[in-house]
Amino acid sequence: MTALTTPSAEAPRRTARAHRNRYLAGLLTGRGLTGLTLVGLLALAGLFAPLLTDLDPDAQSALALAGPSADHPFGTDDLGRDLFSRVLHGIGTDLAITFSAVPVGALLGCSFALLAASSRWADVTVQRAFDLLLAFPGIILALAVTAVLGPGRWPVLIVIALAEIPGFGRQLRAGILVQREREYALAARVGGASRLRVLLRHVVPNAADPLIVQTAVALSIGVFIEGAMSFLGLGVRPPEPTLGSILSQSVAYLSTHPTFAAAPLAATTALVLGFTLIAEALNRGIRR
Amino acid sequence: MRSFLLKRLPSGLLVLVLASFLVFLILRLIPGDPATSLAGPDAGPEAVAAIRGRLGLDQPLLTQYVGWIGDLLTGNLGPSYAIGGRISDLIGNGIGATAQLTLGALLLVILIALPLGVLGATTRRRPVAAAVRAFTTAVLAVPPFVTGVLLVLLFAVTLRLLPAGGHESLLDQPDLAVQYLLMPALCLALPSAAVLARYLKDGLERALAEDYVRTATALGVSRRRIVWQHALPNALPSTITVLGLQIGHLIAGAVLVERIFAWPGLGQLIEQGVIRRDYPVVQDLLLLIVAVHVAVQLLTDLVYAWLDPRIRWE
Repeated sequence: MTALTTPSAEAPRRTARAHRNRYLAGLLTGRGLTGLTLVGLLALAGLFAPLLTDLDPDAQSALALAGPSADHPFGTDDLGRDLFSRVLHGIGTDLAITFSAVPVGALLGCSFALLAASSRWADVTVQRAFDLLLAFPGIILALAVTAVLGPGRWPVLIVIALAEIPGFGRQLRAGILVQREREYALAARVGGASRLRVLLRHVVPNAADPLIVQTAVALSIGVFIEGAMSFLGLGVRPPEPTLGSILSQSVAYLSTHPTFAAAPLAATTALVLGFTLIAEALNRGIRR
Repeated sequence: MRSFLLKRLPSGLLVLVLASFLVFLILRLIPGDPATSLAGPDAGPEAVAAIRGRLGLDQPLLTQYVGWIGDLLTGNLGPSYAIGGRISDLIGNGIGATAQLTLGALLLVILIALPLGVLGATTRRRPVAAAVRAFTTAVLAVPPFVTGVLLVLLFAVTLRLLPAGGHESLLDQPDLAVQYLLMPALCLALPSAAVLARYLKDGLERALAEDYVRTATALGVSRRRIVWQHALPNALPSTITVLGLQIGHLIAGAVLVERIFAWPGLGQLIEQGVIRRDYPVVQDLLLLIVAVHVAVQLLTDLVYAWLDPRIRWE
């Protein structure tokens, strides 16, 4: 019996390692490196914002809507606050929100997928729950949650986490369904391993590969949702800067002071483009 | 077809009923009740109780729920709390503008995605294929509010071709109305157009690799005819499913786009409802949006089954 299970159980572990190498190969392409550099630089800028500028992001001054200058490299906003400092701190806020909300959504989504794998009945229930969540597309979910909780940082976190649940859940569920029928899984069952052990030790590690791509996509969706909620006045409360709130403030001054929008526009674009490039690079890596 | 409908309809209705429970219940989970906040800080308990009675909040939850659904089905939506006026009138005022925006965007989605997808799948020039791919990637990567700001900067501020925001009635001044509609509709349409173009391109590439295409080519059928009359109809059903999903995104995205371009539609109404805590408005609009969303999904499944007979027999 052991002779039967050992080689079959070894095979997927080798492919799992090969998968990891292929992820690395994907990331080490032009596309992947560009994405990593963009996200890396912005993350460093956001993380070390207090060291890069002494100006308080929330300190107002009489110098409102100024263009770029030596003192204010990105100019100032309508309340005379330094935009360089606000954009750097805004990047920090955005990254803090997405990097804490996405793992929660991923964890919940994966837990539901595992629950769905336990029985036919659970599978149907979980599927309907995902359908229900998907019936509230992103912004509508944001409106529903803020209708209850009011605007603020917590609702943004909750909306991002909730919006990510079906994506991760469906991805892992589909993977489990495919992997569970593979020979190594059947062999492990025949070898006497319990259903739970087969699921957790053998099936899930092999089904989890696409989730890494999903994570990169989810991070960019997090930045989308933060921005959209700020635009609707449902996001993080002022005066704390976020990329979305600075950009939405600048909209009123687009025709008179277009430089106001330049920095938040560039930072938001670079961040989501970075996440997207990483996701594409990883995706190409595993498809190869 | 009928058995297919019978199989899909219950799950769509189930989602709708569950969603109505959810919308109804979450708005009753709100800390502090609406009657107290409506009555104001100086109101005595009698005044609060009177308001609660007028709004029906003193009834059991099930009675409230049944009453609400009954009102919805008979089109009697009642008064709003904070915005003022009857909800039916508020929705009536906004629905035209929102319908204009989403339908305009839908038209643009098809007009952009169809040529782009066909071009991406059929071109033999590498730079063209790369350009199509770069365009769809860029449009998808950038959030709609960034696209919106960029469109305003380009068309309104730099070129001064289009108004930066606002709305005109399509009946009174059609030419001006189209000018106002163009940018918001484009902003709303671009991400969905990119998604659709990608799916269409993939589907078309798969179809063009089939044996019947090789046979047709060998028989001397022109390339144009093969693409449009043989490959495209085979690539279309799966693309329609994606289009259905994208219509849901258009309806949700309209809320954000209406905000950016000061478009007076239902999105502005629900946003006002949330910010001013006008729960009846929020509750009715949320359910309306979810209902349209679920209905569109169902319709998409039916169109798919109608286009692709194989599905009906599964």
